[in-house]
Amino acid sequence: MTTRRAFLKLTVAAGLAPAVASAQGTGRVVVVGGGFAGATAARTLKALEPRLTVTLVEPNRIFTACPFSNDVLAAVREISQQQFGYDGVVRAGVTLAQTAATAVDAAAKTVTLADGNRLSYDRLVMAPGIDFRWEALPGYDEAAAEKMPHAWKAGAQTVLLRQQLQAMDDGGLVVISSPANPYRCPPGPYERASLIAYWLKIWKPKSKLLILDSKDAFSKQRLFQNAWAELYPGVIEWVSLSQGGKVTSVDPATLTFVTDFARHKAAVGNVIPPQKAGAIAALAGVADRTGWCPVEPVAFESTLQPGIHVVGDAAIMGGMPKSAFAANAQAKVCAAAVVELLAGRKPVDPLLINTCYSLVAPDYGISIAGVYRPDKGVLADIPGAGGTSPLEVVGGYRSQEALYAESWFKTITAETFG
Amino acid sequence: MRRLLLPALASALLLAGLAEGGPARAADAPPGASSCTGCHAAKKIPDSVIPRIAGRKSSDIATAMREYRSGAWPSSVMGRIAKGFDDSQIDAIAAWFAAQPE
Repeated sequence: MTTRRAFLKLTVAAGLAPAVASAQGTGRVVVVGGGFAGATAARTLKALEPRLTVTLVEPNRIFTACPFSNDVLAAVREISQQQFGYDGVVRAGVTLAQTAATAVDAAAKTVTLADGNRLSYDRLVMAPGIDFRWEALPGYDEAAAEKMPHAWKAGAQTVLLRQQLQAMDDGGLVVISSPANPYRCPPGPYERASLIAYWLKIWKPKSKLLILDSKDAFSKQRLFQNAWAELYPGVIEWVSLSQGGKVTSVDPATLTFVTDFARHKAAVGNVIPPQKAGAIAALAGVADRTGWCPVEPVAFESTLQPGIHVVGDAAIMGGMPKSAFAANAQAKVCAAAVVELLAGRKPVDPLLINTCYSLVAPDYGISIAGVYRPDKGVLADIPGAGGTSPLEVVGGYRSQEALYAESWFKTITAETFG
Repeated sequence: MRRLLLPALASALLLAGLAEGGPARAADAPPGASSCTGCHAAKKIPDSVIPRIAGRKSSDIATAMREYRSGAWPSSVMGRIAKGFDDSQIDAIAAWFAAQPE
């Protein structure tokens, strides 16, 4: 596909046109990670410049989406509705390497794969998502996650947490521990509390839910708290950092959450652990001491390793939250910028939007939006734009936003996976 | 594929002003436009309550954005989003979506 600019160049160059055209189209891009950011980046690269060789490295055959996975906990949705394959990515002309990336050599511009192959690239797009900092919360490791699920990567963990809730006696206490910023999906723990409360109200009406938080404030806080008071009075208790909510260790054998002030024994314990960029980011040298990946705000190229771009939850994106919407938006901007850079042109400053819906009940939605632009080396909120749903609304505003949320999920998954 | 055209024919088309015709390429999307498709997808989404904007009249899209921005047209997220865009950015995005296949 020739852009108008390239077309003009082609016309002017007349006799030399074929050489110019082919030189512009050559390029090998490897994308590591097939979530909302990576799958979007791979498909968009091929759509913008079909002559690129684009390889997506992703070990899983099926992607399980986190947005709406709290609906699975509330039994209003099945895990199969969260799952998407890569047929659409392949149809877009992307080569799928169904294996893990085990090493990146930024100097040699190669990615080593678990199957023993090595891919060379002209530009690398890394979208490794998150991994957990198992060492950060004493008592919580991969074995503990089988007793106290995180369910913060959707899939088997989501199903496990749902099964535990269903097996719980009526009257049992559900405890959620919520981490300090930054982490994947800032409003997610509170949407989860809401939808579990919705389900408890129907099936386990004597049960209560406790949120132990390592923060004093959270996304859409007043909207959530007003809705909890309205829909689930007396069910959800939130303990902030300054009230002693920070969990300092857990005991998976007894499902106990330990804080500086108390020990909370849960009937069902959901630990949302501290997080970092997906492990390959550190191996590639694109993660800094925070565990996340600093990038410049135009093409999202790593400030630590030239030629490597990082998008999605793994990247430090200034004011933009770690959301599926943001990952998809960043990936599209990054793909366009990579096409420009490979053609020897300078990418223009982008504008990006984020929109995050949360469900407080299946028919009660709230949202937060923002618009972002590069400013002083970071992606910054445009002042005066964005914000949350109003605290006071009339008519069917909340149910309308729940419908928008559902349509958004259908759209973003189609945008990402084809 | 335009690149397959003979240079002479391409020049003739350019002179005739047809180089501007045809669907706008995604690569030419103005700043902000690619984020819009997170909700307003390029392809048709069954059972979506979010309106499609690809192929709509440029002036209709631009007017809607301005009215969302001013609050003249009530909205949920669109008013908050439109406040991040100035008139020229709105016009460029509206023109680009108008040129996309319906």
